[in-house]
Amino acid sequence: VITQEFDFHAPTAVDEVLGLLADHGEDAKLLAGGMSLMPTMNLGLARPTRVISLNHVDGLGGIREDGPNLRIGAMTRHAQVARDPLVATHAPALREAAALVGDPQVRNRGTFGGSLAHADPAADYLPVMAVLGGSLVIRSSRGERTVPAKEFFVDVLQTALEPDELLVEVIVPRLAEGDGSAYRRLARVEGSFAIVSAAGLVRAGRATGLVAIGGVAGQPVVVDVSSEIAEGATPEALAAVSSAVESACVGAFADLSGDSEYRQAMAGVYARRVIEAAAAASR
Amino acid sequence: MRTRVRATINGRQREAEVDTRMILADMLRDVFRLTGTHIGCATGNCGACTVILDGVTVKSCSVLAADVDGQEILTIEGLPNAPGELHPIQEAFVRNQGLQCGFCTPGMILSTKVLLEQNPDPSESEIRHGIAGNLCRCTGYHYIVTSIQDAAATLRAEPDAG
Repeated sequence: VITQEFDFHAPTAVDEVLGLLADHGEDAKLLAGGMSLMPTMNLGLARPTRVISLNHVDGLGGIREDGPNLRIGAMTRHAQVARDPLVATHAPALREAAALVGDPQVRNRGTFGGSLAHADPAADYLPVMAVLGGSLVIRSSRGERTVPAKEFFVDVLQTALEPDELLVEVIVPRLAEGDGSAYRRLARVEGSFAIVSAAGLVRAGRATGLVAIGGVAGQPVVVDVSSEIAEGATPEALAAVSSAVESACVGAFADLSGDSEYRQAMAGVYARRVIEAAAAASR
Repeated sequence: MRTRVRATINGRQREAEVDTRMILADMLRDVFRLTGTHIGCATGNCGACTVILDGVTVKSCSVLAADVDGQEILTIEGLPNAPGELHPIQEAFVRNQGLQCGFCTPGMILSTKVLLEQNPDPSESEIRHGIAGNLCRCTGYHYIVTSIQDAAATLRAEPDAG
């Protein structure tokens, strides 16, 4: 039961949202899919006095191709990301991540932009965005700006968003011909938060190898493993990837799901797996 | 603050004035007395409150009542084709002992309905992934899966029954 009283707004246009945020940004909470906000409000952990629903706003959903990029509307539901043919073709790691978010009901309601703006370190999209190098389009009544993913995620549940700003769209670079990518996660059971997650990217001809690890720090830990895989994803190269990533994850988060050393070790294991899979998908 | 909600619930146009704090599950149960929608955790974990909102399953503890204005909702009460009858999925759960205490059953059955609409012949693994958002604390998953397999076979044989 939500005890805190709040004013509820259900705007239908982006400009209306921006106007509300300009007037009330400091005490308003944006409600997208509600998969994090609603449980925390039910538990009394979040007590906003004003809730602005984005569920009826036109023009915030959908996925389209734009030159070398995909543009994904912030209110696109996880289930749409997971079954979109453009995503499957041009950002397959993002499709893998979307298909692993929560459970079917969560994927039907939860949104791509909501997950990014919430910035839970265990969220599936964060490491994928970190390796793909996407950027986020942010609007307010003051104007529009585009922020690279690596600057958008600041710390646990903290982003570059100002109180009067709305995340409207995410720009995801399409993989080039011959690039390979992959996403894997370690979780206790389906639907539970990732203990460690990993995204890997291997550019055509093994020109670049990148790993990003989620769930170990306030933002994804990105490790350049280009030199490790220069001669191919051999067992020795993959072992080197593991140890490079383990070194980068010193001091990993600890909680009931695993202590710091366990997370660090698993980061190495999952880094190896995503680089192996990404290398197999690249040419 | 109060707000007016108009929604189609189980095929009927309904209207209510609700507190903005009310979650969809509470509106269904307390305003419209559709108590087949159960509330287990109110944190989006257990899936007992699953309903079908505009054709897809959602957890109604994690949706504000005020936010479904103009939308279409199907609850377990609206699933049978006629009053007093059971839907073929419900019959399959009865036939196969697909429920023990029954608390999770409305959510399980609505998840099954959408799963079978999207995939009429799911493998056992696809069934288990399809109900991953519904917890059975009796741990009666084995016979739930059997029930879903039976329901799928029935609906494939008589597509109009569902």
